[in-house]
Amino acid sequence: MSDTSAPPSGVRRREFLKVLGATGAATAAIGCTSSHVEKLIPYLVQPDNDNTVPGVSTYFATTCRECAASCGVLAEARDGRTFKLEGNPEHPLNRGALCARGQAAVQGLLNPDRYRGPRMRRGNAWANITWDEAIALLAQKLAGVQGAASVFLNRHESGAFPAFLDQWLSAHGLAPHLSYDPLLDGAVVQANLQSYGVAWPAIDFTAARLIVSFGADFLETWGASVPQQLSFADARARGAQAPRFVYIGPRRSLTGLNADTWIPCAPGSELAIARALVGNGSLDDVATQSGAPADALRALRSELESASPALFLSGANVRNAFELALAVNDLNRSHGSVGSALLPDRAIAAFEGASRDADVIDALDRMRRGQVALLFVRGVNPVHTLPAAAGVADALAKVPFKVSFSSYPDATSELCDLILPDNHPLESWGIAQPLAGEMSLQQPAMRPLFDTRATGDVLIDVAHRTAASSRFGMTSYRDWIIEQYPGGVRAFTAALEKGVAPGRVAGRMSAPRSTTAAAAATPAITPLAEGEFHLVVYPHPALGEGSGANKPWLQEMPDPVSKVSWQSWIEVHPTVAKRLDIVPGSVLRVETSAGHVDAPAFVYPGIRPDTVAIALGRGHTAYGRFAEGIGINPLTAVPVALHPGAGVLALSGAHAQVHTVDAFDELVTTEGSARQHDRGIAQVVPVTALLSREERSRLPQTVANVRMPQAENAPAEGGEEEEEYPGKPDTDFLPGLRSAVAADAQGELVSKNAKDRGMYALDHWSGMAKRRWAMTIDLARCTGCSACITACYAENNVPTVGAPYQSTRTPGYQGRPGANILRGREMTWMRVERYYEGNVEDSSFEARFVPMLCQHCGNAPCEPVCPVYATYHSPDGLNVQVYNRCVGTRYCSNNCPYKVRYFNWFGFGEANRTQYAWPEPLHLQLNPDVNVRGKGVMEKCTFCVQRIREAESRARLEGREVQPDEFTTSCAQACPSRAIIFGDAASPDWTVSHVAADERGYHVFPELNTYTAVVYLKKIVHPAPPEAPSGA
Amino acid sequence: MASTLKPVDTLPPDLPSADVHLPGVKTYHQVNVDIRSTLHPTKAWFGALSIAILCLLVGITAWMYQIYMGLGVAGYEPPVMWGVYIVSFVFWVGIGHAGTLISAILYLFRAGFRTTIYRTAEAMTVFAVMTAGLFPILHLGRPWKFFWLIPYPNWRLIWPQFKSPLIWDVFAILTYLTISTTFLFLGLVPDIAALRDAETHPIRKRIYAVLSLGWRNSDQEWRHFSRAYLFLAALSTPLVLSVHSVVSFDFAMSLVPGWHTTIFAPYFVAGAIFSGIGMVFTILIPLRRWFGLKRYVTINDLDAAAKMCLLTSLVVGLAYLTEFWVAWYSGNEVEQSYFVARVFGQWWWAAWIMLTCNVILPLSLFVQRLRRNTTWLFILSLFINLGMWYERFVIVIPGLSHEFEPWQWTRYSPSAVDWSILLGSFGWFFMWFLLFCRQLPAVPIAEIKEIVPARLRALGKHTEPEYTLPELEG
Repeated sequence: MSDTSAPPSGVRRREFLKVLGATGAATAAIGCTSSHVEKLIPYLVQPDNDNTVPGVSTYFATTCRECAASCGVLAEARDGRTFKLEGNPEHPLNRGALCARGQAAVQGLLNPDRYRGPRMRRGNAWANITWDEAIALLAQKLAGVQGAASVFLNRHESGAFPAFLDQWLSAHGLAPHLSYDPLLDGAVVQANLQSYGVAWPAIDFTAARLIVSFGADFLETWGASVPQQLSFADARARGAQAPRFVYIGPRRSLTGLNADTWIPCAPGSELAIARALVGNGSLDDVATQSGAPADALRALRSELESASPALFLSGANVRNAFELALAVNDLNRSHGSVGSALLPDRAIAAFEGASRDADVIDALDRMRRGQVALLFVRGVNPVHTLPAAAGVADALAKVPFKVSFSSYPDATSELCDLILPDNHPLESWGIAQPLAGEMSLQQPAMRPLFDTRATGDVLIDVAHRTAASSRFGMTSYRDWIIEQYPGGVRAFTAALEKGVAPGRVAGRMSAPRSTTAAAAATPAITPLAEGEFHLVVYPHPALGEGSGANKPWLQEMPDPVSKVSWQSWIEVHPTVAKRLDIVPGSVLRVETSAGHVDAPAFVYPGIRPDTVAIALGRGHTAYGRFAEGIGINPLTAVPVALHPGAGVLALSGAHAQVHTVDAFDELVTTEGSARQHDRGIAQVVPVTALLSREERSRLPQTVANVRMPQAENAPAEGGEEEEEYPGKPDTDFLPGLRSAVAADAQGELVSKNAKDRGMYALDHWSGMAKRRWAMTIDLARCTGCSACITACYAENNVPTVGAPYQSTRTPGYQGRPGANILRGREMTWMRVERYYEGNVEDSSFEARFVPMLCQHCGNAPCEPVCPVYATYHSPDGLNVQVYNRCVGTRYCSNNCPYKVRYFNWFGFGEANRTQYAWPEPLHLQLNPDVNVRGKGVMEKCTFCVQRIREAESRARLEGREVQPDEFTTSCAQACPSRAIIFGDAASPDWTVSHVAADERGYHVFPELNTYTAVVYLKKIVHPAPPEAPSGA
Repeated sequence: MASTLKPVDTLPPDLPSADVHLPGVKTYHQVNVDIRSTLHPTKAWFGALSIAILCLLVGITAWMYQIYMGLGVAGYEPPVMWGVYIVSFVFWVGIGHAGTLISAILYLFRAGFRTTIYRTAEAMTVFAVMTAGLFPILHLGRPWKFFWLIPYPNWRLIWPQFKSPLIWDVFAILTYLTISTTFLFLGLVPDIAALRDAETHPIRKRIYAVLSLGWRNSDQEWRHFSRAYLFLAALSTPLVLSVHSVVSFDFAMSLVPGWHTTIFAPYFVAGAIFSGIGMVFTILIPLRRWFGLKRYVTINDLDAAAKMCLLTSLVVGLAYLTEFWVAWYSGNEVEQSYFVARVFGQWWWAAWIMLTCNVILPLSLFVQRLRRNTTWLFILSLFINLGMWYERFVIVIPGLSHEFEPWQWTRYSPSAVDWSILLGSFGWFFMWFLLFCRQLPAVPIAEIKEIVPARLRALGKHTEPEYTLPELEG
């Protein structure tokens, strides 16, 4: 325990919890296969050299491998099981934040549908085999295969493994592997390599004065979303110094909804606009050609004259994307952002070394021609992520022997002959290279759950049986990476504590070639014929290209734009809906030259009337119980459009016919009304109305300094009396227990005249009554990404309710995916509301995102109505729900104006029920600090009370006070835009008390006198500069 | 007052007398014979009882399924957290109000028409409250913990939250059940004694003997009895007003738009009486036909009750209008938005069922011919029952579905389990009522004898009646 004991004082949580140096012994964690969890016997002798203390968490610094960006994570493990991922604050890339996909990695680790051991195809059936048999078989198959007769298709990743893999392949005389990443914007990578010599320059939004995105969804899947979001939020929170954001594209994605101006243009016409902004071509011609409003383009051009540096980003996945990316790079150069907002010398190395789509397509051609004898697939699912027209399944059928290292059954591995399931990244060793000068280390946070083996180890074992054995003397892949690690085993072990280390790991022996595609002709964009639509296909923000679909948190997380979960949808403009005479949920058929898909319509004002859009990520034929049969894969209808020079596949921009189908498929949406009806839930302030610096200095600096209303205070003299009644909500924050009106539910305990106020007395030894836990949510920072939702699911054992097997008893929707959500029974303690403002008939509408969670009202309406005292107010200002006491009258929910209480309609938390949310081994994810609620009980956000009490207990054990900002809630911890701040608002030392005093602060529904503990800071809107020509 | 009414029954009284309330009833003996003749099981009765028990079993099965699976099998759609069960709870409590009103308040006001209908109404009250009391329990998420709502000493020193209107409900309902049961039983004592005296079957006789508490028809007993009866009537009278006021506080004390309003207490009481009278018609009109009690429960009595029905309908209609006026006058946009959604938006159909059944159709009772037409009264009473159930539906559900937070606006549709349990509640109610009406007199014996004119009382004493009675119409 010497690693975990902390100095007696001045310790912050981060330091205390600082990652344990987990050596190989640490990974020999205690048995964690669920079949053994039967007896409660505490360890007398720790199985892993004192690293496991029952009930105390161990934190492993490792690397998230859910996308190529490779954020640093701290994996929290207790008693041998890993159950929570949090961003590693020391990591230069994500600085402690983590997106929803990263959070959900534990559901990949503990997925009930994982392969549980190696297997091979015998005839039409699968046979389980042993690893020895598997390795012997693979070694035997390797003999006689040479050079390009083998294809190794690996998921693109940075760092050590690609180099190892190429070394192994070359030792066996095989061609280098293909590094395939369906989410990577290859056009941008190719253009960047050409312009800057690096694949992906780091982006610093704070340096820009204007951001112009040509379809680059940098808050979603484009690039490294977490650092981009951190930087974007930092930039946007700067008030008057914040950059304006213009989004150009056919559809407002989540990123587009965060823009101040949306210029809708036809897919493919972005290039013309970019060139016109450089000065090539008249704006009016471009406006006619692209369908973009000419006024808006003129306004943008005039704005560009004064805004410098202006940052341009391209991400449109269209046929001329490569030319667009080059044009955008020119714009960046001419508008001064290279070197300021765009930093090629601080490149994000994670995207280096990916193969071009053309290389993958080429390999498929070779397979189809029968030139490939042996195929390896690891971590990718090309059958699902390449257009059906590419004929991946047919090509695979021509390969005699196919090996999959997939952890899960998927459409590709189902076609393979030998399955050698890889360990999950959280069970594996590795080194990633997120930044050019920073390595991110990957260590197991858990012993392998099943009979799986790391691919590196398997390949080394294979090498031992072949002629290449001399080049692989080590026994495991871990030994190999330690050999590669600068400084050897000592440096490696030391660096594991932090999880990151400066330096660079040796890269691939033969990096894929970059393109010199300038010579190739720009692909022509053909105009639409009468009645045709552009088809836009985009990665789902949570499910990505589809790899997230087997994680129920991600399936359940409402899409930030459409708010649809567990379902695919087709976005159509309201005028199209009117013309086709359809309502949301009417099934549409989108038909292209390549095929057709049917899905329900989502009527969305943020799409051009001549465009329809479908998200990728669903429509799996085999990917486990949470993915199969849910939604559609739009790639069925996407033709293969390869850029002739850059070799990039364009998924968007096909021409499509849209027909109505005589069917109705109700949308699984969490949206009630999309308008807030002037109720002041999501408020904004124009940037021009923000106070000047000296005006701001006259404000109280913290809420703790706001004068607390005292009932016994004499009214102020003069005519001000009526202004001074206690707890006037718009002037007095933090009434809580200090307010004369907040005593409602507590009875005499908080009455001034009570003899014994117990814990509610300010001088009680617990000190609880001195605190007032509070939260601020800065809507100027919030992007609506919904990572907080997933973090809450992970921390608080919130069940997902939408899986098909959970829907069998839901009245009216038996068996439908998302049936419980159709009935409004989602359990999420936190939701992100998306309200439209302004005219949704044109492109000027505004979207506002409001994370809504229990407001922990000082004067909570839910408290006095509970007949059994199951909800009450704690001395430190929490609105507490006692699950054991709850009988389920649900009156509290009726009386909650924020509607943030959630009821367990079924036994979502009871293992013997059909609706059980955590089928084995998913239940290992459950946070041991939080209980699992049974049916018939109300639950809601607790402000992560387990973290509060943990911090308090630790402080007491160490004989100190809780330090300011020592800990935070799960949502605040994960938030990639740092919009959420939690803390004790009664103390001026906590950040939250300063932020809550901001001039932008407001409460939702103050007229109800609820005295909420959540302060929202108004979103800052940036209207177009006045010198720009108006739209009139 | 009955005495001012013209005797309009088609039966001409044998003895011409304008003050005869029950022209077809001549002698004490006839009262004994006629009413006792209703107390024997028939095939039709067994059939009706079987249907009631079958409905009850459907409800019990549905409830067991719901307890096992969880409340998710009901039609709830959050934030509509209260649904058919609370609607039905308020509905049945409302039904339970007419009985005490008729037996207690009208007793104090000496309204003559109450005499013949009060027993039925009172029994209906007790059974309706017994039915209503089930709903708050079966709507709980964890119904097996319902006793936590009752303040009982326990070592954890946890008491219920006395600020919660649901706790007030517990007290209100239990008090009301106690008082109305006592009141019903007290009124039955002389009648049970009469049955005991005429009973020949030894076991039945013994049961009646116990239930009659040794009533011997002495003057002293009568004096005590009438004081006790008056006392209980006085005790029950405020309950009629308070119980449904407390039930209305479940809604009025909350923040929900459409619930949070001060007129709820009188509005609920008027609605309760209205619905109770509707249910009285639904029960009494078939009963007087099948039990041959037309000369006891006269058209005059029904006419008078119909007038009360009309009055309460007008009060309820005024309350509906007042709600709109308050929503408009308050300037509260949340409230206004809700009322628009209630009547012209999402819930227009439910609101118009309510308005049609409770306000428009009862206006027909201004016509005397319809008030005296038992067929119309019966049909109207079914509409009133439907309308009053929908009134509670309109109160409970649209408010929750159209609250402060527009993002959480939603719909609601009851499921098969909801409907089954509602059906079961009717089964439960009618099972008790059917068991009652064939074992104990549904029309009071002693009090009817009181209104047989004195000069007739001796007629035919110890002899058979000397006349034959023609068939009655209506």
